[in-house]
Amino acid sequence: MTAHASSDLLVILRHGPHGSSLLRDGLDAALVAAAFGQRVSLLFMGEGVMALVDDQQTDPLGPKGTAATLTMLTMYDIETILVEEAALEHIGLAPSDLMLPVCLMSGKALSALPASHRLVLTF
Amino acid sequence: MLLHVLNRAPTTSRVYQQALAMMGEEDRLLLVEDGVQGALPQMVRHFSEVHGRLFALREDLASRGLLGRCDASVQVVDVDGFVHLTEQAERTVSWY
Amino acid sequence: MRYAILLLGAPYSHQASHSALRFAHALIARGHALQAVFFYHDGVHNAARLAAPPQDERHLTDEWIALHAEHGTSLEVCIAAALRRGLVDEREAVRHGKSGHSLEAPFELTGLGQLIDLGQRCDRLITFAP
Repeated sequence: MTAHASSDLLVILRHGPHGSSLLRDGLDAALVAAAFGQRVSLLFMGEGVMALVDDQQTDPLGPKGTAATLTMLTMYDIETILVEEAALEHIGLAPSDLMLPVCLMSGKALSALPASHRLVLTF
Repeated sequence: MLLHVLNRAPTTSRVYQQALAMMGEEDRLLLVEDGVQGALPQMVRHFSEVHGRLFALREDLASRGLLGRCDASVQVVDVDGFVHLTEQAERTVSWY
Repeated sequence: MRYAILLLGAPYSHQASHSALRFAHALIARGHALQAVFFYHDGVHNAARLAAPPQDERHLTDEWIALHAEHGTSLEVCIAAALRRGLVDEREAVRHGKSGHSLEAPFELTGLGQLIDLGQRCDRLITFAP
């Protein structure tokens, strides 16, 4: 918990890749905030955990994906990558199915997140 | 204390569960737009864990014919009350 | 207090724009200042210069412009989201070789950094979404 206590911005990503642009738009906001020197936490919630699924193929005829961006998060100094544990279980995925090491969140630790960030944006 | 704003009905979307999962013990929940369906007596059970901290926007209830059909446990506020809630809350989180 | 609004919903498709406008007037009526509305995602369509809704419906674009004229609220449109959706001001129209423009002052194309800045500068940032 200490790693993401009192950070500047919490971006909650609740949409999967490709189906809509909300995931991309949320990620873009997070990257810009990080580039501006803010401490950013990303929380993948609900269907948003689909963004992290490993082995996403590039589809030249589909919308531009987000997988490449996600692999570069540490370059932007975004190291707090949180995942709603229940969402992962609901879909039947394990952390080993994900492309990044993540921190699983549930219960009080999860519900305490909005209060510990100066700004919360949901996408 | 934070204000959470939900614009989806429990019948059509699980987003209300996300809002509930992210609410602190003092946080309040305001139902707006299609979310006000959650204020009906048959629906309000979905929000039992935020009993006493549940609000619904009067204008959105009225335009949907639901103003007189709200559960008594829901606190109805107009848009002025919505602003007032955002004043009292440290920040606002939108669920859609 | 200083407020900002983040609007993600397209006009007429969703209630978000109507809700945001109602909230904007209410907060100003309570004595607060609305520094800016930031239009992002499908919200950028609120800035469409050529919008021509039927006369018995609210003209949302004009109402945003009126809000700016009466209260000095800046109308900031995410440039990346806008260009993808065909919302270009005169300068961008020239730059991209377009014959006309679809967005004009007081709406202004700006970067996402402006949203982050609003989040820092304002006491309250309220999101209205589809």
